[in-house]
Amino acid sequence: MSVDVLSRLQDLTGDPYSYARAWKGRTGGKVMGFYCHYAPEEIIHAAGALPVRITGENRVISDSGAHLQSYCCSLARTGLDMALGGDLDVLDGTVFVHTCDTMQRLSDIWRLDAGFDAHFDVVLPGRMEGDSSREYLYQELGSFRDRTGEYLGPVDDEALKRSIGIHNRNRVLLEEMYRLRRQDPGVLPSDEVLMVVAASAIMDKEEHNALLEELLGTLETRLSGGGPPPQSSLCKGEEKEEKIRLFGIGSVMDQWEFLRMVEDAGGTIVDDDFCTGHRCAGAVAPEGPDPIESITARIWDGALCPCKHAMSRDRAGYLLERITGSGAKGVLFFQFKFCEPHAFDYPHVKKALDEHGIPSLHLEIEQGSVSIPRLRTRVEALLETMRGA
Amino acid sequence: MVAEEGRKLYLKIDATDRMKQLMTEYYIDAKGAEGTDRPICWITSGGPVEFLIAMDVIPIYPENHGAMCGASKMGVQLAEVAEGLGFSGDLCSYARLDIGSAITHGGPIGGLPRPDFLLCCNNICGTVQKWYEELARYFEVPMFLMDTPFIHKTTYEHATEYVRKQCLELVAFLEEQTGREFSLERFAEVAMLSVEGIELWKEVLKTAEHRPSPLTCFDAFIHMALIVTLRGTPEVVEYYRLLKGEMEKRIENGISAVPEEKHRLIWDNIPIWFEMRNLGQLFARNNTCLVADTYTTAWAIDIKIDDPLTSMADAYTGIYLNISIDLMFEKLLALIERFSADGVVMHSNRSCKPYSLGQYDLARMVTERTGKPVLMIEADMTDSRAYSEAQVRDRVEAFIESFP
Ligand code: SF4
Ligand code: SF4
Repeated sequence: MSVDVLSRLQDLTGDPYSYARAWKGRTGGKVMGFYCHYAPEEIIHAAGALPVRITGENRVISDSGAHLQSYCCSLARTGLDMALGGDLDVLDGTVFVHTCDTMQRLSDIWRLDAGFDAHFDVVLPGRMEGDSSREYLYQELGSFRDRTGEYLGPVDDEALKRSIGIHNRNRVLLEEMYRLRRQDPGVLPSDEVLMVVAASAIMDKEEHNALLEELLGTLETRLSGGGPPPQSSLCKGEEKEEKIRLFGIGSVMDQWEFLRMVEDAGGTIVDDDFCTGHRCAGAVAPEGPDPIESITARIWDGALCPCKHAMSRDRAGYLLERITGSGAKGVLFFQFKFCEPHAFDYPHVKKALDEHGIPSLHLEIEQGSVSIPRLRTRVEALLETMRGA
Repeated sequence: MVAEEGRKLYLKIDATDRMKQLMTEYYIDAKGAEGTDRPICWITSGGPVEFLIAMDVIPIYPENHGAMCGASKMGVQLAEVAEGLGFSGDLCSYARLDIGSAITHGGPIGGLPRPDFLLCCNNICGTVQKWYEELARYFEVPMFLMDTPFIHKTTYEHATEYVRKQCLELVAFLEEQTGREFSLERFAEVAMLSVEGIELWKEVLKTAEHRPSPLTCFDAFIHMALIVTLRGTPEVVEYYRLLKGEMEKRIENGISAVPEEKHRLIWDNIPIWFEMRNLGQLFARNNTCLVADTYTTAWAIDIKIDDPLTSMADAYTGIYLNISIDLMFEKLLALIERFSADGVVMHSNRSCKPYSLGQYDLARMVTERTGKPVLMIEADMTDSRAYSEAQVRDRVEAFIESFP
């Protein structure tokens, strides 16, 4: 049963925008792209549109080279290339959220050159502590609701509360998947875990919730010893050798082949802080009378991106806690070249890991030029030292 | 085409000595304050320094220091220290060399005095936010982040209100850090001096509207140091009055910065500090004056005396690097018109994403709207490792040659 779910999700992530096209054909609704997991999807959803995440892809740049210098991260470069090349034609508009300098400028370029109908910016605060920042966040979300309303149609409180419920459910289910994996990583390989999360960002959430429920049921049966061992096409081998548990740190993780290679080499990313991974799970919007307040609370209290500032929430301390809690014995930094927010944090986090005797490997990649054999050598070396220890 | 060496290519500005003296005094004084009860605060170049001056806090600008290290060609060696610690070589080179200098006390003045606290304003970039977080960890000192929401199309009331509130929070932060009381009168006084300094700075830059121009942007890059670091003090006002007088005298006497000014260009982005002298001479030799730039004008902000807090919130939010490409274009266009420029030179600066990403679009917009050409130079403001002097020279000469 779950085999169907997984192959379904695999097809989806292999051709992410075909779903949106079909959805649009079926419902006649609008499709809104967004890059960052901070985007208030609930508001877009409540307006009857389908929010669809853009995460770039492995491709050779052609058109975007005339707009973005080579010292810009591949997430921005390949994403813009897709937009200019017509691959994102299904979108009616895009929502940009303020995160880093690159996204800030990409938003301008996108608005000026990509030619979509609508364009919105949600200028989130850079500081995520202090009352005035929280108040500003609340105001900005409210302003976004009004501004999108003019294009997508007004969003009333009841619709928004309903959307919040659906999105909360999704986060709870994803969290549950992560929990089961921590219990036994063998229950689902990491590439499939991340595909499940990726799918949630490109398909209708209610439909995704249904798939997740089905998947979780199967995983639970497996865990309790019943049912057949995992049999998806990707999860080959029934070898019972315990995989080495790793924790992944980075922004977007969409390199399925890389994840399969890690599994194949005897490791598994049992938990992560990817913004296309565990950061999409967990923190729910507390349901209350004011839905904008609910979303504010979710963003405010949720996992913190390195793009955001809060001195009271030390990133190294936070990650250490997460790593220990996950049972991971080592860390994979998987980061985009030219990504400043992550690169700035790396020495600090690395130092904390060293102090705690947690081995780690720092990989810097660009979408479109990921060399699996080269990365494999390095991953194997890390796993080798860990086995020796 | 190339000017004969009849007159020196570079004409020294007499006021420079006074500026050097003021900057030396400033750094000596600041370094002397280290370890005393006079508080020192490191601040970003776009930060609201008026609050510090009004509280008698010594402001220190790592970016100004970064420029100094770059100009003395010490940027690379300091950056390499940070790279050795795991900081990526792709990060802003100001940040890298500053971290390197903090650790080794390296650089032309033996490093900067230790901060007691930090004031970071993200109106120039998100980079400073991360860089100052690192400084806060390294020095174990508190940091205040002034968060200025980016302007894509318009400013929203709630954004202005947010920044205004933060001005009050900053006051509270400074009171706590210094144990002193904030005085609104003193602040208004400082704001007034700041406005006066800024107005004079604008007038200095304006003298370059004259054809031929009495100064080039390479001069402006040097003489901006005071408006960045010490605005709000009487010395700055006095200094720019002096400089302005000298420029006006040049105009009266028919003296131009470039011996034979034939072409006039605008510079975009931060200077290539380690190459300033060469570039200045290269353009001068080719009878070209860079009459204005988008960088030094960034400090020409508007503060209104009657409501300094609100106008400061607006002014600091609206600076050049905190607005969208289309809004930047309007400003660039105004510069081209005002200074009767024949084209634009853009420094595509791999250190600075908010300044550089979008330049390709800006360049197209300029040419489409004005028909004027744009030259793109790939470089870095202080990291000379990827710079090719020969290539830049050829491109600059070919570009100038294309003018009628
Ligand atoms: S956070 Fe990093 S990876 Fe993400 S858009 Fe910004 S620079 Fe690129
Ligand atoms: S050079 Fe650019 S990225 Fe670096 S501190 Fe200045 S504005 Fe920020």
